[in-house]
Amino acid sequence: MKGEDLILFGLLFFSFFIGGWGWWLERKLTARFQYRVGPPWYQNFIDILKLFSKEQIIPSPANRVIFILSPIATLSSVILVTIILDRIIFLREGFLGDLFVILYLLIIPSLFIILGAFSSSNPLATVGGTREIKLMLAYEFVFILSLLIVIIKSGGVFSLEKILDKQMSTSYINSFSGIIGFLLALFYLQAKLGIVPFDVSEAEQEIMSGVFIEYGGPLLGFYRLARAFLYFSLPMLVIAFFMGKNLGWQIAYKYLIIILIISVIKNINPRLRVKDVLSLFWFFLFPLGIVGMFLSILGY
Amino acid sequence: MIIGDLFIFDNLSKLVATFIAFFILIILIYSFGYIKERKFSYYFWFLITGILSIGVVFTRNVWIIISLWGFLGFTLFQLINLSDDDKASSTAKKTFIVVGGSDGLMLLGFILYAHLTSSLSFNLAVDKQPLIINNGLTLLSFIFIALGCFAKAGAIPLHTWIPHVAKDAPVTVVAYLPASLDKLLGIYLLARIVKDTFILDNWAKAFLLVMGALTVIFAVMMALIQHNIKKLLGYHAVSQVGYMILGIASGTSLGLASGLFHMVNHAIYKSCLFLCAGNIEKETGSSQLEDLGGIGKFMPLTFIFTLIASFSISGIPPFNGFVSKWTIYQSLLDLFNTTTFITLKVIVSLSLVMALVGSGLTLASFLKLISSVFLGKPKKIVREVGFSLYFPPFILSLLCIIFGLFAYSTILKFIEKGAGGIYFSGLWRPLLSTGLIVLGVVLGLILFFFSARITRYSPSYIGGEVLEDEVKSEDFYNTIKDLSLLKKIYNCAENKYFDIYEQGKRLIFLLGRFLSFLHNGVLPTYLVWCLIGMLGLLYLFFR
Repeated sequence: MKGEDLILFGLLFFSFFIGGWGWWLERKLTARFQYRVGPPWYQNFIDILKLFSKEQIIPSPANRVIFILSPIATLSSVILVTIILDRIIFLREGFLGDLFVILYLLIIPSLFIILGAFSSSNPLATVGGTREIKLMLAYEFVFILSLLIVIIKSGGVFSLEKILDKQMSTSYINSFSGIIGFLLALFYLQAKLGIVPFDVSEAEQEIMSGVFIEYGGPLLGFYRLARAFLYFSLPMLVIAFFMGKNLGWQIAYKYLIIILIISVIKNINPRLRVKDVLSLFWFFLFPLGIVGMFLSILGY
Repeated sequence: MIIGDLFIFDNLSKLVATFIAFFILIILIYSFGYIKERKFSYYFWFLITGILSIGVVFTRNVWIIISLWGFLGFTLFQLINLSDDDKASSTAKKTFIVVGGSDGLMLLGFILYAHLTSSLSFNLAVDKQPLIINNGLTLLSFIFIALGCFAKAGAIPLHTWIPHVAKDAPVTVVAYLPASLDKLLGIYLLARIVKDTFILDNWAKAFLLVMGALTVIFAVMMALIQHNIKKLLGYHAVSQVGYMILGIASGTSLGLASGLFHMVNHAIYKSCLFLCAGNIEKETGSSQLEDLGGIGKFMPLTFIFTLIASFSISGIPPFNGFVSKWTIYQSLLDLFNTTTFITLKVIVSLSLVMALVGSGLTLASFLKLISSVFLGKPKKIVREVGFSLYFPPFILSLLCIIFGLFAYSTILKFIEKGAGGIYFSGLWRPLLSTGLIVLGVVLGLILFFFSARITRYSPSYIGGEVLEDEVKSEDFYNTIKDLSLLKKIYNCAENKYFDIYEQGKRLIFLLGRFLSFLHNGVLPTYLVWCLIGMLGLLYLFFR
């Protein structure tokens, strides 16, 4: 193992730690919003540890191969995205065309969550799965526009590393199209992480965690691990897109701001229905994104 | 290499001909297990089609190409019309009219071209300079020829025959013609004229981009609401053509290469999907999503091949569809960077949005297919198909993986020669990433089997109730269909307002009604007409 690989390995653990901690921060803030004390900072880590010591229950009518493979494939694709992002943000080693690779790799987690839900042959999981498909269609489109705004603003390069270089003088958020893009990316973040108001596919009160209903023990642990990584890599992606100036220690407060925004949105909104989510994303945010794209072509 | 005025054996022709030969072989193997009746006429027209297709690719003289093209429409008609089914024969008629009519358009385009260059004997891959599109007439000539290619490949607005053929014709015919050979030929000719015959201006590029983007989005929206596997795949066969046209639209050698690469990939995964659909239909006797479910347990091989091809068509890395879509995006961005024409910039960015959005919708409709056919509760017990039926999908899905992982060392070298020198501005190294994912999955499995020492199987928990009704995943789009704006569009589409064949039919019937209104058999009416005609003639001659 070379030195660089060791650094990457360290960064990966660091990302996991930060992600789990950010997740805790969101839970803690929620608790404070509701006048509760909230969990201690290590709560997520011991939750995951406990899940891996539990027994595994597999529903008997399930397609076992897909059922077992889904959480594992989810985790490994999320880890791959995290490695790519770590290399770009902290080591400044990207490759040309990494943006579309990140875009498509980020689809894989949702894809396998849906397949895992369908494979468990539980009606409630099927409801959750179909909702997750619709949710995915909703947020991916908006994310695509946000991505294109960044690409157009950077003058047509499609490498994240180059985009960071172009933001040396000023961050993209300091412009009209940048603000629109940042807004879209925040909505994407909220929906991708499945946080209220966009938690239709999990919805504990209606369909009892929907897509995850049959998962427990180590397999749920894999999903939780993937979620911890996503709590790191998705905010980092948004930061790299729109707040790319000064990524030294300043990255910490940018991350904190994003976690704070997530928690505030979570706690002041009720859950939307699927139809409302689709209407919001397709008929309001998508046209807004198109306007943002035109603005970025015109240079605003 | 160009031999005389008739033949051409350059790298582009060789590339397309190789794949035509490959698909003839693959589908022939499948047919041995699938076709049980009317063997003679099936194999006769099958082989004639193959020979004619190879003829088109190696021919240089345009008039011969047009004749072969017309014969291909006829063999397609014969192959669809094999069964005595009423539906099949009306579909065959529709196909013949749409494809044949667009052949007429293409002929008109070539005649215009001959008029513009003032020479009647003209060849593709010309010795003289390509025609620069700089006025309305040249653009019209290009558009007519392109429409001929669109009808063959199945792009909007001449796509309407493909979904019907996919549903009514034998699955081998669908996998053979609309899924692979017709795509290869249509896109080959489009690439050929863009490469050698015309030099595109901004408006020609804009035309191709708009057509490509509309094809991607409309066809995939229609695919989303289908309930028949083969019809769903048929709409995807239309939607993917949009990507190829988007690639070719940039007019650069990178764009051509990406379009051709996507063409090859599409032929591979789409014929794989159609053959798998054939396996499902053969074993279960149905291709409606409602009648199927849970057969992934009984037909594991078909399941795996369908899964690979579905991931491929949705552009999931590391399969081949991702690599070609990615090169297409790259060529579009290159076009965006190089052009200074602001309208074209807007069109390029919008079509990029449409292409990316279409990719997401493709994934959604394939998730619907996979979940309702292979996952869920089994409806009936079936068994896996025989060797000659799973061997061709196996080869095709293997190619999906190989062309995805080793794209730069295998297929792209071949395509590079066909399209001229390519400059790849981005490099995606699939091997390392795939290796990491596979490593992750293996480590995860080890961790799973280590930590889940106690594994228990139990029936699924549904709020403690015993439910008889099953929740259907194939109806998931109903919410989407009910959204106010989309509802209107879907209603229009279901009333066939977008079907150029149906609209043409309406127009011709209207004309016929008008004519039969005139011929009402009353003598004085005819006399009045004669008088009016006479007056007209008198005016014409003695004014």
